[in-house]
Amino acid sequence: MTRKTRAVVGAGALAIAGTLILSGCGGSGFDDSGDSADGGLTSSDDALSILIGSSGEAETSAVEDAVAAWSEESGVEAKVSVANDLNQQLAQGFAAGSPPDVFYLTDDVLAGYAGNGSLVAYGDQLENADDFYPSLVENFTIDDEFFCAPKDFSTLALVINTELWTAAGLTDADVPTTWEELTAVSKALTTGGTVGLAFGAEYPRVGAFMAQAGGGLVEDGTAVANSEANVEALEYVKTNLEEGNFAYAADVGAGWGGEAFGKALSAMTIEGNWIGGALTNDFPDVQYLVTELPEGPAGKGTLQFSTCWGMSADSPNQQAALELIQYLTSAEQQLAFSEAFGPMPSVQSAAAEWSEANPDKVAFLNGAEYAQFRPNQEGATDVIADFNAQLETLETGDPQQILDSVQANLEAVVG
Amino acid sequence: MTVTAVGDTAVVTEPRAPRAVRTGRATRIWGQVLLYAVLIVLALIYIYPFLVQVATSFKTDAEAAADPISLIPTVFTWAAYELLFSRSDFPLWFMNSAIVTICVTLGRVFFVSLAGYALARLRFRGRALIFALVIAVMAVPGVVLLIPKFLVLNQIGIYDSYAGMILPLLVDAAGVFIMKNFFESIPVSIEEQARIDGAGTFRVFWSIVLPMARPALITIIILSFQGSWNELSHFIVSTQSPELTTLTKGVASLASGQLSQGSQYPLKLAAAAIMTIPVAVMFFIFQKRIMNTTQGALKE
Amino acid sequence: MTTQVSKAPRRTGASGLRRGEGAAGWLFVAPVIIILGLFLFIPVLMALWVSFSDWNGRGSPLSSSVDFVGLENYAAVTTGGGLAERNFGISLRNIAWYVLLVVPLQTALALFLAVLVSRAVLRGRGFFRTAFYFPSVTSSVAITVLWLFLFSTTGVVNEVLSWVGINGPNWFNDPRGIFHIGFGAVGVDSAPTALGDSGFLGISWWDWIAGPSVALFAFMLMAIFTTSGTFMLLFIAALQNVGIELGEAGMMDGASAWQRFWHITLPQLRPTLFTVLTLGLIGGWQVFEQIYTGTQGGPAKTTLTPAYLSYQAAFQNQDWGQGSAIAFILFLIIIFFALVQRWVLRERPVSRRRAAQYQVKGQKP
Repeated sequence: MTRKTRAVVGAGALAIAGTLILSGCGGSGFDDSGDSADGGLTSSDDALSILIGSSGEAETSAVEDAVAAWSEESGVEAKVSVANDLNQQLAQGFAAGSPPDVFYLTDDVLAGYAGNGSLVAYGDQLENADDFYPSLVENFTIDDEFFCAPKDFSTLALVINTELWTAAGLTDADVPTTWEELTAVSKALTTGGTVGLAFGAEYPRVGAFMAQAGGGLVEDGTAVANSEANVEALEYVKTNLEEGNFAYAADVGAGWGGEAFGKALSAMTIEGNWIGGALTNDFPDVQYLVTELPEGPAGKGTLQFSTCWGMSADSPNQQAALELIQYLTSAEQQLAFSEAFGPMPSVQSAAAEWSEANPDKVAFLNGAEYAQFRPNQEGATDVIADFNAQLETLETGDPQQILDSVQANLEAVVG
Repeated sequence: MTVTAVGDTAVVTEPRAPRAVRTGRATRIWGQVLLYAVLIVLALIYIYPFLVQVATSFKTDAEAAADPISLIPTVFTWAAYELLFSRSDFPLWFMNSAIVTICVTLGRVFFVSLAGYALARLRFRGRALIFALVIAVMAVPGVVLLIPKFLVLNQIGIYDSYAGMILPLLVDAAGVFIMKNFFESIPVSIEEQARIDGAGTFRVFWSIVLPMARPALITIIILSFQGSWNELSHFIVSTQSPELTTLTKGVASLASGQLSQGSQYPLKLAAAAIMTIPVAVMFFIFQKRIMNTTQGALKE
Repeated sequence: MTTQVSKAPRRTGASGLRRGEGAAGWLFVAPVIIILGLFLFIPVLMALWVSFSDWNGRGSPLSSSVDFVGLENYAAVTTGGGLAERNFGISLRNIAWYVLLVVPLQTALALFLAVLVSRAVLRGRGFFRTAFYFPSVTSSVAITVLWLFLFSTTGVVNEVLSWVGINGPNWFNDPRGIFHIGFGAVGVDSAPTALGDSGFLGISWWDWIAGPSVALFAFMLMAIFTTSGTFMLLFIAALQNVGIELGEAGMMDGASAWQRFWHITLPQLRPTLFTVLTLGLIGGWQVFEQIYTGTQGGPAKTTLTPAYLSYQAAFQNQDWGQGSAIAFILFLIIIFFALVQRWVLRERPVSRRRAAQYQVKGQKP
């Protein structure tokens, strides 16, 4: 062999040796996942680690206080950390083999983690499993397994700036309840520097119109993205975008609908009840009212968003985690959270008390009766991200073409 | 006599008076003025963004959006800086960046000069192969390493720790290259002299050769400092805890609106400005060296 | 006559002044070998394995439950027909336009600045060099944040444009391709059927020729802004080594300034040009940090680059195999272009015909 060949062989041998050593180092210990198939939860004395993605200080302190209170009561130590980028940190945590025990889990990543065995489907073991709203339970159920408890939820509603409303000569009777009225009102509210209605350029907002037209993305396990109802909805949005009554938040120079609303770049917006906290923090002078979204050709429609408490299959102390989650999703605790940073409780028993305490936000709660949720199949997130990208060009695009491509992508995922 | 080609034949012509020589003084002066005018305009384009950055960090949010160009805020306010230091983990990020940068710079200077010296002066089996591998490594694009570095850090167990942040950055192939080139330019006689006097290899390296390598070492210090202070992708894949966030990662998260929703430009620009100060200071102090490095790098 | 051939004394290891040198040599390079091997060499091998496997993100990729799946991940990204292929196609289109426009522009600008600065006779030279090089010193994160501000809807750039009557776009949120805008200006608003129906990697040809989007264009300006300084320094150093005599000879022969530059100076800059182009290509194809900090691939995926797609696929979608596959395809592309560029710029011997032209009539070549 020439010297060069020997060198190459030597280098290759070194590399292979190194890889084998590494595989020896890291390979063991991960071959059997946590046993949860027949409800057997692990139990130990380990402290619990909780990872949350906070919307601000109010939420962080509220969660920390609740966990501390439970810790004292139960005697199990628990620590709360706030994530910079929740999904990325979860992914790295799982890949590193050291995920948090309990964590916020959004519905778009649920399928991925459920599919690779990272989660415990503890939902049916909760005492208050029947108390959750049925649509929320469905949102977090995959293959008939109820994976995680929804920690709160929100729906979309129409938020109106009352000052600009009266300045445009509109009264309470003009609050829109149909699409035609919405168009008329938006037109009236659009002035030089303000657009009538602004919202994010994404399915989580435009999807509300699709629901109102009787459409949606997935129905009974089948992809229905390019149904006529959806095309109608997108045509409606497109027409209004062209006429200047509606606008995307980014096009008026805002990061999201709430910012456009707070800066009076738009007189109305479509957002969830997190807007309350954001407006109080950043734009406290804005006077607003919340009302249900107007009806479309098929009646009322809106979208719901929820996050659940995920439990990791690698956790050594799942029993304690279950008790913690039960505590955190109880009616009283959820009402306390609601007071602190504003989300709606996910349990029906808390509905009455919440409505009393938040009369101006009842529109959000009413939406729960007819709300749709995002498809939660594996791979659906990518399809929705692609849909969002295409929605950004809706004004110059062709709704049928956009929906056809979404349908194709969705069929590949929903099966 | 000039030879010019016309088709396939060579034609000889008498020299013409070249145009350049006939330029009068006036034309030359105008040429220089134009040159300087262009240079000044370009320099302005290059400097102005940074001036605007500092100026905007002292403006209010509203003014930053309404009047972005002016360099003098109508209302001078420290609000952005207050917010930065009180409501975010900015001091922690600064400290983390400082720790990592100092460790990496010191480490790199040491290891890279060791290796450069060995490759330049010491004879040992496989020297050529090692050097070839070092060069080959310089060619690997960083993108390929994003995912696998995470996997390896994981397997070894130093993921999400200071060790994970510092160790992989401790050696830099380009640095080895620079030091090797430099050591090769030092006359061998000095080392021979020291050896005759009985010094061991390390002694020769540490006490004789290294002090002579000051210019190259300063270059390595500057490049390491800059490289590790501005590093981002490595920190993305090697850490996840908020306690280990460095300036780059922190400011990147600010840019995507972590502190509060909405575009708070004075806050973000203040963070970016403070982040730039240490490298800028290093730059201004050691400018001359940086300018000279590139000349050295060309003499391959 | 006999000559005495003296054998050079064996200098390795055991004897004389150089004792212990072999061991010391290995010891000295050991840290470098260990760290480069561990964090550069082995990771690449591991990534190669992951790209050929079905590892799903849990546990070790080298454990026994992970299977070899051959080219499945590569196929999914290049011919799979689904969203993965489309995303990869979009990212390739974006980065191809980026590299195509940025590399020549930054090289030309760097050369231009170098020539200007070299001509400046007075002491201003140091100041100008510093001014042009300073952006290269800052971190990509800081510059991206600054750029997001400068190019916002009510930012500095749009205000300057308004002075000359142009209504600037909402730069970082505008997904329209600049060539599409150009086509629109001459009346071609949508895809002609030939271009609209067929495509490559899931993108129609019409979308391939859309050019970089307005948002990507802003990133391109940023890249030129930050890298022209570094390359300018390289060119300045090279220009200082260019001999004056050749230029004067050219002047004697009646060559204009431009001819002198193109035929005399530029060929002598060939090695530096090669370095600058290579560095530019390698850097350009790998754009990641600016996208991570700035737009995360939006608007409408027009700033999605393969490097960011690789990160996204792995760290956000848990598609580690596909993420690694994308990274390696990018690696191959970079190597390919570096080699092509090397071949194009190689020293070619002057052709006989050319050489004949420079001979005086009657003389032999």
